[in-house]
Amino acid sequence: MRYIAYLAALLGGAALSLEGAIYGELGKTIGKLETSFYNFFVGSIILAVLWLFFGKGRLSYTLEAPKWKLLGGVLGVVYLTTIVISVPFVGVGITMVAVIIGQLAMSIIIEHYGWLGSQVAKINKEKILAVISMIIALVLVY
Amino acid sequence: MGFLMILSTLIGGLTLSAQSAINGTFSRKAGTIETTLLTFLTGTLFLSIVILFFGKGNVLAILEVPRWQLSAVFLGVLFLLFIVMAVPRIGVIATNITIIIGQLVLGIVIDHFGWFNSLVIPIDAKRAAALVFMASALYFIYKGNKRSMEQAQG
Repeated sequence: MRYIAYLAALLGGAALSLEGAIYGELGKTIGKLETSFYNFFVGSIILAVLWLFFGKGRLSYTLEAPKWKLLGGVLGVVYLTTIVISVPFVGVGITMVAVIIGQLAMSIIIEHYGWLGSQVAKINKEKILAVISMIIALVLVY
Repeated sequence: MGFLMILSTLIGGLTLSAQSAINGTFSRKAGTIETTLLTFLTGTLFLSIVILFFGKGNVLAILEVPRWQLSAVFLGVLFLLFIVMAVPRIGVIATNITIIIGQLVLGIVIDHFGWFNSLVIPIDAKRAAALVFMASALYFIYKGNKRSMEQAQG
């Protein structure tokens, strides 16, 4: 079961790369913010259909949940918007390195303290080595 | 100016991992498809407001672009579905590192072949070395995660 989760995350990242490359082209025609809007708007429609047929959970939990648990969508928009603003100023390379370092540092902190409802998982030397390997890989790519 | 930009981009990265953590938590009670749907719906709401004030492009041009460019939305949906599935099972950091590796590996492949009108950047020694370091990162995160989960249980 655990392998499937790793595979899902790997495929998710690959999908993100493909998506980025294709949306780069779309953005040239309709604009960058408009491209994000297209993604979220049509994505909502696709998911509504998926939910109608395959939804097994409880969407009504939305109304009972503490409000901070509803922030996922907004955070996604903040992420997209900062990238759109930053790329023309500092270039794709530095933007991606900065985003990824922010993402990794924050992941470690969130999990170490069990913030945002995640399970506590302490930092250990393997995790630090993983992050160091990632930073070396990033520097080599860009 | 450049420094401020880099700082704000760093914050962009923070929001991405916060998003995966929050969505993972929400999905335990609401379900995977439901969490993804909610993320897309609220994202649409906020972007509508952002576009009204700051939109410079033309959304209606969507009817004139080549269809394959529109197919990326399925990838966007898959991405979020996969993330919401992975976080409750392997945790925030393993999910995020694995996403980044998938992203970089495919990015290197796209560059190598110059797909989707991108610049052609062939795989060289530096990029090959980067792939090796990513593989070792994946190995370390798997090991490290297993150990901290065992500690949490025991």
